[in-house]
Amino acid sequence: MSNATHPSPAWQMRAFPLFTLLGWVLILASFLIGLFVLAPTAAGYWGGDSKAVRDAAEAGSALIGQLQTLTVTPRWLEPLTFLGVASFMTGIALEFSTIPGLLKVRGQVMSAAFPLLVKLGGR
Amino acid sequence: MQEQRPSFPFNLIEGMMPKFPMIAVAGWMMVLVAFLVGATALSSAQATFYSDARAVREGASAGSAFVQASVDSHVIETWLPQFKFLGLGLGLMAITMALGSIAKRLRRMGQVISNHLPDDLRPPMPPVPLRVRVFQLSTLMGVMILLAALVIGIVLATGVVPAYYNYSIANELDLAQPGSALLAQLGLVGSFADWLNPLRMLGMAFLFTAITLALTVIIGTLRTQSAMLVRFQAEASSRR
Repeated sequence: MSNATHPSPAWQMRAFPLFTLLGWVLILASFLIGLFVLAPTAAGYWGGDSKAVRDAAEAGSALIGQLQTLTVTPRWLEPLTFLGVASFMTGIALEFSTIPGLLKVRGQVMSAAFPLLVKLGGR
Repeated sequence: MQEQRPSFPFNLIEGMMPKFPMIAVAGWMMVLVAFLVGATALSSAQATFYSDARAVREGASAGSAFVQASVDSHVIETWLPQFKFLGLGLGLMAITMALGSIAKRLRRMGQVISNHLPDDLRPPMPPVPLRVRVFQLSTLMGVMILLAALVIGIVLATGVVPAYYNYSIANELDLAQPGSALLAQLGLVGSFADWLNPLRMLGMAFLFTAITLALTVIIGTLRTQSAMLVRFQAEASSRR
């Protein structure tokens, strides 16, 4: 009869929390930037001045600065949010990758313990 | 051995857990509806709006087909993404619930094996891990946030969005002056997506966290059960 051994912890179990944490940081950051930077800037830009004034804004003016923020920020902020989603998915995939190994060990442990279970088991 | 029934709202969540295939199908159908609305109503409204020269469509007065098409487009684009994400969220919720059901079955399986061990070698049943409750709450939180985003989308789509776009673009909207109601509405219409879209992703983050935690419960259960059997084998072998 073979001796069963306790499964050793997989490296994936140490790595997945980092990806989950990274996912939270990136998604939370994009939410906060959207809420506290983009939304007030957009409200100010679109709701503050008439179209004629917005269209006539000169280089270096506050309106052009707001327009740049509203145009440039989403170009990197949205991919950053999806990097957060990808981080979560990587963490989940890493966790899943440990399950086949655990099931294999579990099978070995069960087959080693089964004869004793039959012999000593009361019911 | 009978497990103690969980308290509210966990009893509600655990009661829903076996229904995960239905929840998955409901989520898929919502995404399908989003596709159909996009392919029919939204496409048709956009096709109507862009069917003539810019001067004509922007100069069209309220009540015309162009203005109505513009209203329809903006209204649909306000609520449809929220609806679609709620569908995706239900899909993730179904995955969490499936994992929760697996974890529950594994625990029952462990109980069955444990009951077959001799009394003096039988380890006490470990309590339900706190992570089970946390992933259930995280699932609930994620779906509630997505639902809130949909409600906000519907409120905007039935209020300020049609109210703003139901005007001639060139003759009324573009001439709005600072301090006017139209410009105040434009401020809201032009900015809500900047915080509402990331809010949806925050809801998704809660759902992904729930899946992550549910997996740690399954992995933890498998490891605990293996450890118990290893201990049992060692103790039973030394006794012979």
